[in-house]
Amino acid sequence: MKGTRVTPVLDVRGLAKSFTLHGIGGRVVHAFSGVDFTVAPGELVALAGRSGAGKSSVIKAVYRTYRPTAGTVMFAPATGEPVDLAALPDADVADLREREIGYVSQFLRAEPRRGVLDVVARAGVRRGMEPGRAREAAADVLAALRLDRELWQTYPTLLSGGEQQRVNLASALLAPPRLLLLDEPVSALDPANREAVLSMISALVAGGTAVLTILHDHDAIRRLANQVVLMADGRVVDAGDPAEVLAEVAP
Amino acid sequence: MSGAQEAALRVEGLGKIFGPGCPECVAATGPELARELCAVCGSIVACWDVGFEVAAGESLGIVGESGSGKSTALRCLAGDQAPTAGHAYVRSVEGGTADLFTLPAADRRRVGVEDVGMVYQDPAEGLSLDITAGGNVVDRLAAAGWRHFGRMRERLLELLSRTEVPAERVDHVVRTFSGGMRQRVQIAKVLANRPGVLLLDEPTTGLDASVAAGVLDLIRDLQEELDLAVVVVSHDFRVIEMLTRRVLVMQHGRVVEQGLTDQLLEDPQHPYSQRLVAAAR
Amino acid sequence: MTIQEQMSAELNSAVPAARSTTDLLDEADRYSFAFLDELSKRAIRRAILSAVAVPGYQVPFASRDMPVARGWGSGGLQITLGIVGPDDVVKVIDQGDDAGVNAANLRRLIQRTTGVTTTLDRREATIVQSRHRIPEEGMPDGQVLVLQVPVPEALRGIERRQSELRRMHAEADYSRMWVALYEDYVRHGAITKSTGYPVLVNGRYVMQTSPIPRWDVPRLHHHEGLALFGAGREKRIYAVPPFTDVVPLTFEDIPFEVERIPGAVCVRCGSTESYLSEIPQQDSPSRWVCSDTDWCDRRTAGQS
Repeated sequence: MKGTRVTPVLDVRGLAKSFTLHGIGGRVVHAFSGVDFTVAPGELVALAGRSGAGKSSVIKAVYRTYRPTAGTVMFAPATGEPVDLAALPDADVADLREREIGYVSQFLRAEPRRGVLDVVARAGVRRGMEPGRAREAAADVLAALRLDRELWQTYPTLLSGGEQQRVNLASALLAPPRLLLLDEPVSALDPANREAVLSMISALVAGGTAVLTILHDHDAIRRLANQVVLMADGRVVDAGDPAEVLAEVAP
Repeated sequence: MSGAQEAALRVEGLGKIFGPGCPECVAATGPELARELCAVCGSIVACWDVGFEVAAGESLGIVGESGSGKSTALRCLAGDQAPTAGHAYVRSVEGGTADLFTLPAADRRRVGVEDVGMVYQDPAEGLSLDITAGGNVVDRLAAAGWRHFGRMRERLLELLSRTEVPAERVDHVVRTFSGGMRQRVQIAKVLANRPGVLLLDEPTTGLDASVAAGVLDLIRDLQEELDLAVVVVSHDFRVIEMLTRRVLVMQHGRVVEQGLTDQLLEDPQHPYSQRLVAAAR
Repeated sequence: MTIQEQMSAELNSAVPAARSTTDLLDEADRYSFAFLDELSKRAIRRAILSAVAVPGYQVPFASRDMPVARGWGSGGLQITLGIVGPDDVVKVIDQGDDAGVNAANLRRLIQRTTGVTTTLDRREATIVQSRHRIPEEGMPDGQVLVLQVPVPEALRGIERRQSELRRMHAEADYSRMWVALYEDYVRHGAITKSTGYPVLVNGRYVMQTSPIPRWDVPRLHHHEGLALFGAGREKRIYAVPPFTDVVPLTFEDIPFEVERIPGAVCVRCGSTESYLSEIPQQDSPSRWVCSDTDWCDRRTAGQS
């Protein structure tokens, strides 16, 4: 248990998401419902569970890629009062995403035809870093993530899944956000690279970033997570200390 | 927290009706009735009640099929069409207090030279084809009062270099350029006087895929470098995805949905949006 | 008398008996003063007044049919006939030369319909009508220079549509003129317009200076006389009143220059400072002679 009472960076209450498919007569598909958890600064919360449990949907609902159907997503920015991302105007959400909330998925958003180093450096510039400094920092992060130097001038679209994932991660890690959302950050990586990434995430958390991440590997969860939220069929079935929660679950 | 900076461009209740118009027009048209044509008076309600805000450095997409009214709305903002209703404010024009649609003709024209740039789908519409690439840029500079040949030359070379028009073609007549290169000249021309707002109407339609990708890259870079407020009209979701962070969906002249671009692409709410996105993916 | 005889008598009295050519010519001489009827002259003067009130602005006017074909100075002629009075002294030049066929014919027409004194000496003239040049010594106070203009529109070649031309002048939107100058400079390394050089009049309207050669354009700036421009075919009159700013359009960093032919000298009076006309020679280099024949004559005779 944490000693002092700190305002969580992220406070999710009663979050639910359903899709209404108008094209097939308005059929409703439930992604998840009744999800509650908090993430404090310097804390890592892992979302675990089998495929289809609704984990990615939860992350997307937090990031507002999905419009929540019910519930609140209270986010405490660096300055000012907490805001409910679910109800916030689009432009404000976009601003927060740029400055304080990072999101790394397995998939590459449409990227311009520019080398990997440039792509990552740009992310830094967008966060307010001076261009020369951003380039240096980009090089440092890419090296720490063990991305082959020869690939630094290549277009990201030409890279493998695992390489693209690390480019996405590098962009997010460059200027650590207040809240980082990760969707399977190490799934496509070989053990050595996975280790590098997990170390970096660990360092980030130690530096005060709040992290909400989907992880499959129980060892990684036990190592990094302060809390784990276990989901199945769109519902939270258990939550709490990783050692306890995972003891009940087959690896 | 309000977060959003004061808008670089603010549009309220923009509407355009072609034809005589009548009190029934608005009620007789729209997505629920699946028509833009007013059955009572035969007018076309091309767009109605379009409103949005764009901040500096932000880009907004407007997506919809042909006939959705998106291009009409953009043309009203560019000054090519007089709207039937609505207001538009640009922060660099009298601090955002002057309604563009009520400005006298000469002032409206100056806004088009200095504050709001429009890149047309067909470069021939935004360029004089029988003039050189440099000459097209000079047109804008001269309209803004530049009279020094050396300085104009320096500026146009800088702009055309930035839009990646080869130096040896600066003094060639634009008619000899390919579609993609014409589009680059058009972008350079439009940026000549450093406008704060950039409007793009289907910027890559008609261009080969790789040429289109280059143009999109350029627009994206320029937007960041110059902190432009951008409005992009396109029926192509790849363009929207590449360039914008928020988007409006229009159907039969009305806005049916507004949202963050990634949210529209992954979680469209309105039935029409869902159809559009499904067809694109 | 029979009906036939009566009709015959009436017809005969209506058609005078055959007379000599001189008689016919004498009869033909009985025009109203200055050929045009009074209402036409009034309309032309109104247009001239409007033109003087708005320097450089092309005032439309209802151009009359003249005994001179369109394209041969009918506009300039209408202005001269509109303003000439019995005490005026009129000089007419063509390419600076009083003896040109066109100039001679116009002078004769003016003289015969007004009875005014005509002259070859610029110093005596109150009205000078010209197809091409401003006399070498310019226009003093009290003298009116009437120019015969082929094409009055300064933006000719740049825009065809009348509606757009009107808008450009109305809004002082001359950016496309500047583009044309830019293109000229880029293509040729210099601004090459030799006639019809565009000028900004009174800081407001861009004006066509044709038929004046580039050489004479600086003379318009703040000159003491009144310059009136008439285009009969195009139906426009415009004016540059005395002491008006007339500035050739050029870039800040490219000074306006007039044509100079190195080594050219007038074979009659020896001048190197006047506008020279070229006389090509069969087997030797061209010879040059002053375009302004009156001025050249006086120089040769030792006066000036």
